[in-house]
Amino acid sequence: MIKEPIVGSVAEFFQHLMNGLTLGGIYALIALGYTMVYGILKFINFAHGDILMIGSYIGLFIFNAIRGQALGIWTMIAFFVAMLGGMAFSAALGMVIERVAYKPLRNATRLAPLLSAIGVSFILSNMAAWMWGTKSRKLEYPFDNTPIRFKGISITPHQILILIVVVVMMIVLKLFVDKSRIGKAMRATSLDLDTAKLMGIKADKIIAVTFAIGSALAATAGFLLALEIKVYPTMGTMTGLKAFVAAVVGGIGNISGAMLGGILLGLLETFGVAILGIPYGLKDTIAFVALILILLIKPEGLLGKAEKEKV
Amino acid sequence: MKKVLTLILIVALSGSMALFAAGGAESAPKSVKVGFIGPMTGDYSNYGDLISKGALVAIDEKNAQGGIAGKIKIDFIAEDSEGDPQKGLAGIEKLSSSDKISALIGPVFTGVAFAVGQRVQDEGIVMITPSGTHKDITNIGDYVFRTVASDGLQGEVSGYYFYDVLGYRNLAVLYVKNDYSQGLYQGTKESFEAAGGKITIAETAQEGDKDFRTQLTKIRAANPDAIYIPNYTSEMAQILEQASQLGIKTPFLSGDGFSNPEIYDLAPAYTDGIVYVGPTQVKESDAYLKFVDSYKKKWGFAPDSFATNAYDAAYILFDAFEKVYAKTGKFDRKAIRDAVAATKDFQGVTGLVNFAENGDLVAYQGVYKVKGTTPNYLGAYTVVDGKLVSVE
Amino acid sequence: MLNFVLLILIYTGIYALMAIGQNLITGYVGLLSLTQAGFFAIGSYATAILTTKMGWGFWSTVPVAALLSGMFGFLIGLPTLRLKGDYLAIATLGFGEIVRNVLNNWDSLTNGPMGIQRIPMATIFGQRISPYAKWSFLILVWAFVLVAYLVYERLTSSRLGRALEAIREDEIAASSMGINTTKYKVWAFALGAAIAGVAGSLQAVFVLSVTPAVFTFMVSIMVLCMVVLGGMGNFKAVILGAFIIQFISYLPQLTGLTNIIPPQFKHVLFGLILVVMMIWRPQGILGRKERTAPRGLKR
Repeated sequence: MIKEPIVGSVAEFFQHLMNGLTLGGIYALIALGYTMVYGILKFINFAHGDILMIGSYIGLFIFNAIRGQALGIWTMIAFFVAMLGGMAFSAALGMVIERVAYKPLRNATRLAPLLSAIGVSFILSNMAAWMWGTKSRKLEYPFDNTPIRFKGISITPHQILILIVVVVMMIVLKLFVDKSRIGKAMRATSLDLDTAKLMGIKADKIIAVTFAIGSALAATAGFLLALEIKVYPTMGTMTGLKAFVAAVVGGIGNISGAMLGGILLGLLETFGVAILGIPYGLKDTIAFVALILILLIKPEGLLGKAEKEKV
Repeated sequence: MKKVLTLILIVALSGSMALFAAGGAESAPKSVKVGFIGPMTGDYSNYGDLISKGALVAIDEKNAQGGIAGKIKIDFIAEDSEGDPQKGLAGIEKLSSSDKISALIGPVFTGVAFAVGQRVQDEGIVMITPSGTHKDITNIGDYVFRTVASDGLQGEVSGYYFYDVLGYRNLAVLYVKNDYSQGLYQGTKESFEAAGGKITIAETAQEGDKDFRTQLTKIRAANPDAIYIPNYTSEMAQILEQASQLGIKTPFLSGDGFSNPEIYDLAPAYTDGIVYVGPTQVKESDAYLKFVDSYKKKWGFAPDSFATNAYDAAYILFDAFEKVYAKTGKFDRKAIRDAVAATKDFQGVTGLVNFAENGDLVAYQGVYKVKGTTPNYLGAYTVVDGKLVSVE
Repeated sequence: MLNFVLLILIYTGIYALMAIGQNLITGYVGLLSLTQAGFFAIGSYATAILTTKMGWGFWSTVPVAALLSGMFGFLIGLPTLRLKGDYLAIATLGFGEIVRNVLNNWDSLTNGPMGIQRIPMATIFGQRISPYAKWSFLILVWAFVLVAYLVYERLTSSRLGRALEAIREDEIAASSMGINTTKYKVWAFALGAAIAGVAGSLQAVFVLSVTPAVFTFMVSIMVLCMVVLGGMGNFKAVILGAFIIQFISYLPQLTGLTNIIPPQFKHVLFGLILVVMMIWRPQGILGRKERTAPRGLKR
């Protein structure tokens, strides 16, 4: 099944590198959301990818409503306003979902919140299909996306935008979590929920904030991604799942880990096919194999700390 | 207690189901029913939607004239296959036993067509698929027909056309692992290589994939004469856009999936110059233009070639209904099938329709070249004894 | 209409088999596994390939399907043991997708996306069990369900069942009691998988064709819903769950409202069922089976 690898020239290599990095950047943004929620609640929000999708739709509607015709400064502004709108909506949606579908199950069996999350995921993606149809909708570029070309490598402004946004988000988030009061509270809550509560931290509020931030980040990733893959009801599912794998590989609960995991997975997928000659059909398998491997070798992830299970 | 509860629930459910069974729809003597199976939801719902609407245009037209024999209304019942053979089977089961259809238009997809085809063959209901192109479908039996040229033909014409007329010697292919795309690839590969050409690189993708850059980068490195993408519109739109971003200037070739006008909504900037093989077009025949017009007026968008095939399929059925009703005053399924098989030189909007012995459409393929976002018809072709033949 | 109802009952039976397997893994051991689609596929393809390419009869393929699926269940079970609930769910979901991916790409064995068509019907004493003559096939499927029910009931009322429940309640305590948790969890997986493989065999001789597109994780979700809705840990309950879920699936067709009720309706409903059941009645409609002391102890 492995075909002869095509390494090609240096230009090829850098092209693949570029493709891998931008793909990884998207995974990283989404992984952040997963990792933050898991850090506090020790729970995977299956519906994360679908929140991403809803945020993208909202952003699309806003953008189409307010943008002008020509590609100019206003279109760029409109684009960012729309993105913020999508982020805000997702943040709110994330908080509502947490309150309604997860909070009641915080003390239930391990399975309960997971099953609930699967249910929420289903509801979201199918309601979207019901309300907005299954056809892909195009999100127009607010700028001219002609690729910049040099020495045989093509990079689009879109790819550059993704990288910039990802890096900025990463820095902002890290600063927020490390330096701000809420960030401190978040870290405390993720270390030990009950102790944090006893220390006077309003755990419920912190959890809500966590969901809000994670969801907003997912919406950002989705909106950027949508420029390329269009907006449709199942856009979040597979990507979301792989972003989860990225979070685990990097070290779930760890923000730098999410970034590392995301980039790594993006590169692995791209180079796995390009250089190792893995048939493209099995590309998705790469992610799951990576998951199983990391869970066998270093289950806490590359940057994670091993946790002792208390009796 | 729990045991009793379980029992009661099971009995209640079965009972209510039986009630449904008893109250099943009685086929009203005042109408004749035509069924349709296609993907009305899911990623490819666009195809199911478009195609069923093609049949509906025909049915509404006919009903406006009074229906069969001027007085019997035609009922159209569409079932969603979701692209899944299991659901397709459920659909035909309902259509056949509960709705008591007299004929079926569809299914849309090859995989579903196989499963449903075996069913209708066993049950004895005539089936005309307007888009199931896999060459083995009509081999299921004598109740299975199609108003679309089989993949076999499209592949053949494509291969020889690319080599003989367009002069390409090295082709790259990017196809998706589904039965439609892979079927076309295999057919085209066979004939292109028979003509003397070479497929230098064939990359695959999974259904639902959105990122083709890795494959395109590899294709770019292989430097082919042209790139063949026999896929559905959503994939092709992505491929064309990403190819342009990667600076690929190589011409693209495609198959009848490209005839879906959705492509011009999704990737309008990248369609110029593409050559694709699709259904033949009777040179701007009045009937065809009239059909496109009615379709557009009714639904607000243009039909694709499969919708047109569904339109013709519907009218073929009407003819069969008329003949059978005139002779017997009833709509016997076997008689309808025989009438359909006997169709000779039927004047459809896609041209003259004749069925081969096994239910295949005796057809030619059309070739189109896109200028901007408008496809221009280049001509009709077929392959006889391994040679490309242009047809008038 | 009757035929249509019989068809639904046949699908119910096939899914009930998978639900029984799921019940063992999720209901008894408490592991969230989303693998049934994968094992379903393996069983289906096993039967499809053996009957079309090697001329085997249906009945001989059933044990092969069960064994093959069981083996994969075993192989999946081993590494995933250590995973906690959430990771396990994703890993098992991944497995299902990997299976489908491989089936779709391994053209030489499975014919890729074209799938395998013209599967010969099952025969019994020389008579063909035609999926079109519903009654005989219905009896066939439900005979399997009955046997599966009895077998799995027996299994779980024995030591195996008690061990599994102990593991579910508190794994560390169970292992300190001397229960080899590894062994039991893996067995649960293998047994849960095997029955799904058998379901796959039946599916193959019903639809008479197999394509990779059928075995999506939607199947796993549906099976999970059946267990959650019916009642975890209770085999009768999950069969009831299978009924209800299939019934819901085909509600638009049954009520003749296909034009009004969109197909997404049932998916939204499944999602709602999961959320609502978890919050309101996590033990399912029929709750968990009460453990009674074995007869011998009553003295």
